[in-house]
Amino acid sequence: MSEHTSTSTADTTDSDRDDRHRVADADELPEGDRIVTAIDGREIAVFHTNGEYHALSNYCPHQGGPACEGLLSGTLAVDGDDELIWERDGGIVACPWHGWEFDVTDGRHTASDKYRLPVYEAYVEDGTVYVEF
Amino acid sequence: MASATPDQVRSLDDLGTIVDTDFHLTERQEDIFPYLESPFDEMLTASGGDDYGYLGRVYPAHGMVYSVTMGKADSETVRTREDILEGRDLIGWDKAIATPTQNLYLGAVHHDDLAAGLATAYNNWLLDEIIDTDEGIHGAAVVAPQKPVKAAEEVDRRADEDGIVAVMIPSGSVDPTLGNERYYPIYEACERAGLPIKMHNAGGTMMTRFPSTWKSMTRALPVHATSHNMMHQTNLADMLTQGVPERFPDLEFIVQESGLGWYPYFMRRMDHDYMGAKWDAPLLEKLPSEYLDDQFYLTSQPVEGADDPAYLNSVMRLFDGDENLMFSSDYPHFDFDNTDALLRILRSEFDGQALRNVYGETAADVYPFP
Repeated sequence: MSEHTSTSTADTTDSDRDDRHRVADADELPEGDRIVTAIDGREIAVFHTNGEYHALSNYCPHQGGPACEGLLSGTLAVDGDDELIWERDGGIVACPWHGWEFDVTDGRHTASDKYRLPVYEAYVEDGTVYVEF
Repeated sequence: MASATPDQVRSLDDLGTIVDTDFHLTERQEDIFPYLESPFDEMLTASGGDDYGYLGRVYPAHGMVYSVTMGKADSETVRTREDILEGRDLIGWDKAIATPTQNLYLGAVHHDDLAAGLATAYNNWLLDEIIDTDEGIHGAAVVAPQKPVKAAEEVDRRADEDGIVAVMIPSGSVDPTLGNERYYPIYEACERAGLPIKMHNAGGTMMTRFPSTWKSMTRALPVHATSHNMMHQTNLADMLTQGVPERFPDLEFIVQESGLGWYPYFMRRMDHDYMGAKWDAPLLEKLPSEYLDDQFYLTSQPVEGADDPAYLNSVMRLFDGDENLMFSSDYPHFDFDNTDALLRILRSEFDGQALRNVYGETAADVYPFP
């Protein structure tokens, strides 16, 4: 899929907390990149985009595609003057199977609240990227 | 636990052979150009001349921006047997009939003789690099509708090739439409060869043909049977995409004289496409079908399937006709409906309130009767 995608298995052994899962060293996840990893049997993507970290399920609620392995871009909107504008740049991932777009900050499908990728807390602490759930 | 009977299907594994009848290749013209035959190989591949960018693609560009076109969503490439086998793993077919992508636009190629030459090149490439019946990979020989006699020769040439199980006409860009006698040589050749004809459109080709479609529809029957619902779908799709019901939230529309069954289809088709292309209709804040449900009404005539209660009752339910359908007769036009044409069917499954709505109460809400 995307060359920005790498797959690994999150390491939980170095943590004394079972709700927090080590994903990678922070320098393995530069701005604009993502890591797809498996945690407790769930495929989870961790994005580093627009200076923030976001973790989402990699399973599209539409037909089960790897939603978070698609291209990361923005989306079109209309401003108050009825002009098309580009917004949420770097914040929208499009599932590679059918192009369903999800906002990586909250997992919501851009068109319908009925469809949402589960989101998890993601952060960096002491140079390590963690996902917590 | 009871054992499964032979007719009980619990999963895809119980189905036996799965045949995918439309598995696409994403060939590029550079894949098939090496397979051009004379004079087109010399014509297109010998020269290094300046084409001003035009001949870079001999297939006309439709100019539409899709999410894949704009680099917003990625899409798998299928240009080799290995690519096909990857796709087979995902879809899980035992046999597939490969269909082109770029050559869906073959009928729009402006140079008729070249179009026939490209069909030959595609079929050469298909047979040489793609078809592999041991792996279940079959194909449709493509023909250029611009040159029906050449197309028939192409069918004859490919008919006995292992793995050619159909002929494909790129039907979205035919001119004239496929009832015209100029195509009969293709039909004769396919019938003789025992090959079915796959008709496959491409989104970018059809709209360009609408004006000429009118010209080639020389009888009233095909125009009347198709154009009412086609035009409504075209207008409604555009109105929804441009956000008309969002811009005018207190405005209602009444869609007339086009029958019923296309409407629930269209609601779902718009929703289906919209879910993958929200960016193309940014003004919408709910699903297209929800706007149709809230601000649009359908009138009943001409009721198709009035002799088929299972059909009509289910169509009625599929767009909440008890709220969205209004009786119309169309009198005295020659296809007018008797007033009880609907009632005779619907009364078997719908209650009095639903029928009162259809026959007058919904209209009393929609129209500002004094």
